[in-house]
Amino acid sequence: MASSTPGSGIAEPMAAPPRPAMARPAGARRWRTLRHAARARLAPFGAAVLVIAAAAALLAPLVAPHDPLKQDLNHALARPDRAHLLGTDNVGRDVLSRVIWGTRVSLVAGLGSVGIAVLAGGLLGLLAGYAGGRIDGLVMRLMDAVLSFPPLVLALALGAVLGAGLTGVLIALGVVYTPTFARLMRGQVLSITAREYVDAARALGVPGWRIAWAHVLPNATAPIVVQASLSVAFAILAEASLSFLGLGVQPPAASWGSMINAGRGYLQQAPWIVFGPGAALFVTVVGLNFVGDAVRDALDPRLRV
Amino acid sequence: MGRLILRRLAATIPVLLLVTAGVFALIHLTPGDPIDAMMAESVDDTVKRELRRDLGLDRPLYLQYATWMGRLLQGDLGRSIRNREPVIENVSRRIKPSLQLAGLAMAISLLVATPIGILSAARRNSTIDRVGTSFALFGICMPNFLIALLLIFLFGVTLRWLPISGYVDPMEEPWEGFRSLTLPAITLGLALAAVITRTLRSSMLEALSEDYIRTARAKGLSDGAVVRRHALKNALIPVVTVLGLQLGTLIGGAVITEYVFALPGVGRLVVDAVFARDYPLVQGVVLLIAVGFILSNLAVDLLYGLIDPRIRHR
Repeated sequence: MASSTPGSGIAEPMAAPPRPAMARPAGARRWRTLRHAARARLAPFGAAVLVIAAAAALLAPLVAPHDPLKQDLNHALARPDRAHLLGTDNVGRDVLSRVIWGTRVSLVAGLGSVGIAVLAGGLLGLLAGYAGGRIDGLVMRLMDAVLSFPPLVLALALGAVLGAGLTGVLIALGVVYTPTFARLMRGQVLSITAREYVDAARALGVPGWRIAWAHVLPNATAPIVVQASLSVAFAILAEASLSFLGLGVQPPAASWGSMINAGRGYLQQAPWIVFGPGAALFVTVVGLNFVGDAVRDALDPRLRV
Repeated sequence: MGRLILRRLAATIPVLLLVTAGVFALIHLTPGDPIDAMMAESVDDTVKRELRRDLGLDRPLYLQYATWMGRLLQGDLGRSIRNREPVIENVSRRIKPSLQLAGLAMAISLLVATPIGILSAARRNSTIDRVGTSFALFGICMPNFLIALLLIFLFGVTLRWLPISGYVDPMEEPWEGFRSLTLPAITLGLALAAVITRTLRSSMLEALSEDYIRTARAKGLSDGAVVRRHALKNALIPVVTVLGLQLGTLIGGAVITEYVFALPGVGRLVVDAVFARDYPLVQGVVLLIAVGFILSNLAVDLLYGLIDPRIRHR
């Protein structure tokens, strides 16, 4: 069920209810997973978008036709033509080149903030699930408290005090997404540690950290991966929202959100300033959603809708 | 029901405490001195010292927290350092447009989502269903500000049907007020409609596959009556939950929407406070929003218990 967020795009749908994956030989499982993912109808489109975005981000200096920061006031607000495929902005910078460089910011923000959340949430969830009792209560109430803020408002407030810039946004979004992963991990730990094979391991005298490492973590990975893959798309939307409001990467560096904000004053004369990065953002998010859905279907067929 | 309310209220208290602690800590998260962050370097040192004393930042942390909490419990959320007015007054001046916007957006989203969600599920895999699910995907992947700009481009700049910014109070001038809120409400409502459509469709599909639906069909009820009388009622429960969960999104969306359309609401106030580095105002408004959010979630929880007896008796 979607626990959230269109538009302001900052929260994300909860993917899997906490449920451990069945233990199967890892190689066979991985192969089946890939086959399932590929068979999903829209996955190839999503994968293509992801590959193109990743290539654009990595190879930005090579593939961008112009310098994204170079101003050319003689060619300000130029219509899309052969020299500038997506036109130029109000100070004559090439929109396409800026969109390409902006891909970097978006992917770094999306992957980085979800990475932070997976790490922090995963550890907190492990701690809560394992320690139980008061620590569990404290950690989970803390997570509830984070969830008590509307996500965008929290990110905005954190971004404000941490200062504008990519690092602030990464941390702010990381914090916003942490409870999702903490809850997921805790649920996994609780349900996995109740299983017979963990009892057996315990009876054999295997130490707690080893049980966590060898039994709990591998089995808890699937739902975390599913949630993470869905979250990245929403984190990208969230970064765009924050930089649209002026909190993300600072000008003159290019990010999709800030480009869209800068272009909105020229909607009448030069709508391409908005439409270039807007389309890039939309297509990337749709593509990532398809990939996320495919990963979910492959790892967790019961959730297929 | 009374016990349910009490239980939920009790569970809220520790969370509220942590929320206030978090909001208090906010100002201390600034890298470096918060006073320097709030005021330009050129500002006179005595002014800075005065502000530091006003905010109590010259005292030990635990004393600061105790004083801050003490004031909070008396309903004093602090003052803006820019216009010197209490947070409450700043907010109360801005609350009306926000509530009007949220109400209208909610109405639009329900009007759009209910028929699409029901038809999508009732005619599964048909063209209607495909259009419906595509609409939902579009609404979920499309950032709010982009919808806003598309609407402005289409209805404001190209067709010139509707105003693209500013606010007129519909209580005073109904027609102009309604026009000024139309584009913002559609912006905010579409995103919400997408989520409701998706939820309603899947919960309708689930409800339609239940045994009691087969029974209803077997006794000769028409398709329409089956959907209306049996499936829809049961399918609405997850929708209420999602509506509750979406409140946070609605608030976040309102921040962006108010910013784009220059609506003088609470969301716009947050953005303005953030950019004015008016940290006490940011703290106060964020705390108010969080408390409002917690309370409305509580209300949704209780509503949930009200429509579904199974939950009430758990």
